[in-house]
Amino acid sequence: MVEERRILYEHLDVPDINTFDVFRQYDGYTRFEKAIAEYQPEEIAQMVLDSGLKGRGGAGFSTGEKWSFVPRDIKPCYLCCNADESEPGTFSNRYVLEKNPHLLIEGILICCYAMGIETTYIYIRGEFTLGKKMLDAAIKEAYEKGYLGKDIRGTGLNVDIYSHPGAGAYICGEETGLIESLEGKRGQPRNKPPFPAVEGVFRKPTVVQNVETLCNLPFIVGNGVEWYTQMGPTYADTRFDPPKPDANTGTKLYCISGDVNEPGVYELDLGLTCTELIEVAGGLRGEEVKAVIPGGSSAPILTHYELDTRLDFTSLTLAKSMLGSGGIIVMNETRNIVDCLLNIMKFYAHESCGQCTPCRWGTPWVRDIVQRIADGNGRKDTITRPKFGVAENGRWGDTGETEEIYEDLDLLESVANNIANVDTMTWNTICVFGIAVSWPAVSYMRKFRPEFEATIREGKLVTLPVAEATVPPEENYAYQQRFVPKEFADL
Amino acid sequence: MSEELIQIETPFAFNAENQREFDELIGRYPIKEAAMLPTLHLAQRQAGYITPAVMKYVAELLEVTVMKVKDVVTFYPMFFEEPVGEYVIRVCHTLPCALRDCKVVLDHLKAKLDTDIASETNLAKGTTADGKFTLMKVECLASCDVAPVIMVNDDLYKNLTPEKVDEVLDNL
Repeated sequence: MVEERRILYEHLDVPDINTFDVFRQYDGYTRFEKAIAEYQPEEIAQMVLDSGLKGRGGAGFSTGEKWSFVPRDIKPCYLCCNADESEPGTFSNRYVLEKNPHLLIEGILICCYAMGIETTYIYIRGEFTLGKKMLDAAIKEAYEKGYLGKDIRGTGLNVDIYSHPGAGAYICGEETGLIESLEGKRGQPRNKPPFPAVEGVFRKPTVVQNVETLCNLPFIVGNGVEWYTQMGPTYADTRFDPPKPDANTGTKLYCISGDVNEPGVYELDLGLTCTELIEVAGGLRGEEVKAVIPGGSSAPILTHYELDTRLDFTSLTLAKSMLGSGGIIVMNETRNIVDCLLNIMKFYAHESCGQCTPCRWGTPWVRDIVQRIADGNGRKDTITRPKFGVAENGRWGDTGETEEIYEDLDLLESVANNIANVDTMTWNTICVFGIAVSWPAVSYMRKFRPEFEATIREGKLVTLPVAEATVPPEENYAYQQRFVPKEFADL
Repeated sequence: MSEELIQIETPFAFNAENQREFDELIGRYPIKEAAMLPTLHLAQRQAGYITPAVMKYVAELLEVTVMKVKDVVTFYPMFFEEPVGEYVIRVCHTLPCALRDCKVVLDHLKAKLDTDIASETNLAKGTTADGKFTLMKVECLASCDVAPVIMVNDDLYKNLTPEKVDEVLDNL
């Protein structure tokens, strides 16, 4: 069985770790002190780049690379810490904020030092009242102890951290939506480019990082790049010649919920399989795994045939899914996929910000189609239309056979693909919310088509046994392209 | 929103404590407008919900138009434009909670409080006759490991069953 490796969460359960004194006993702020004493800001940025740290918020973009886009000569530059954790199935940041907020502050200090940033806003979810209270107390304490404010520890470094509460909008977790919201407007994402690294909050260069990403920084600085890169697999990206190393280094706070015996946050090296993760989380609650959502509700679903997929950024991308924010939701054999999709589509229809027409109208439309199917009114018509092909007389024409048509399933796919096309990975919206809608809609429908068809045919929700509900691997659009990449070391 | 409507409302102003907090807030941002969300949170805490008078007051404080404040208030689900009960009960009903039977909790609350579920445009529908509770469904509260969860005002209650819900309500 895979062992947990607690780094970010190591001292999470130490009593009073949220206070400065106790945090200090566990090496608190020593990594920041090491950073300012031993390294130049550029060296820290280089270390982060070398460590291969990928952003933990969802997109999985290399943190070091993101930092390299920030022009160093335009000041002020801002850091926005994204603590607007609202992806269904994700809950790891909440624990950091509630139990160990000083770790986040230390990570922010290191980032600020590396990037020459003086002001940080922590955009925290409006619902995280306890988290905000603990964070505000920790910030206050850090100011009192001289780790925040002007001329920190006599180094001439100035850093201010402010917490900024959100107000319940999912879209504010998108980086430009967050920036708009921080500026006191509706949280409607901006067109990119310009990317926030060039023009972000208050029209200044802005680094936007997730809580978990920032919490990794003290450990990269404290223990060194070599130590960090030992954890997790590094693959060869064979699209480049010679193959470029594709790092999935470090640990990930996997949030597992749904039908497992011990749901919770598990800190593990990147790159374990779904099966292993379910085992770590106390095993499955139920008889059989029906489906797994690997990266928050936006991620395309995995069937029981795909449970050997490794949960890291590269492998999941190849499996046409994503690690996203690492929220894994497990469903057992009793679950109805149509019902699950309905739940998720209600979420997206509610959370669409209304800025782009395909999303504003498409999300409720998709929801209504799924609702109709779930209610038993799916437009089956199982209409039959003549099947064209080589007929008996050897000529092209009506073969005399008929084809069953599930009108609503075709419509569902068409509407979803017009918000964002999952095959070509292009979206007709400003932000990636579009793809977050069509990914689940299309993947659930394609991978569990027999269950959708049965529901339409019978006129009521039908939960098929796992093997019957799932399309076989050879018909699974994502399984075809899937391959487990070779470890870079093997080449 | 017409001027008349604003005038018939009781005017709103921050109390001393909130004024102090606001003064501290406003210094954090290079532009005043950026303090919008924290200011609205403060105002809602004091007034109970965002009345047109509150919007007018906030607009003057932040030097923006009333329409701009309204624009923001209508976007975010946490701001109420209608009166709500003393206790706002938010029931999470997104997938991980749904997999753990949040519907049982929701139905139990509905029966116990004898009320419907509030919608964003009709909060009165989910408010009890005595004005004590407002019941609403919300999207993921980021506590999927301890599902099903509800939030009563600022407090989160975990791993709920109908019996635990009774206990929570009795202890309020």
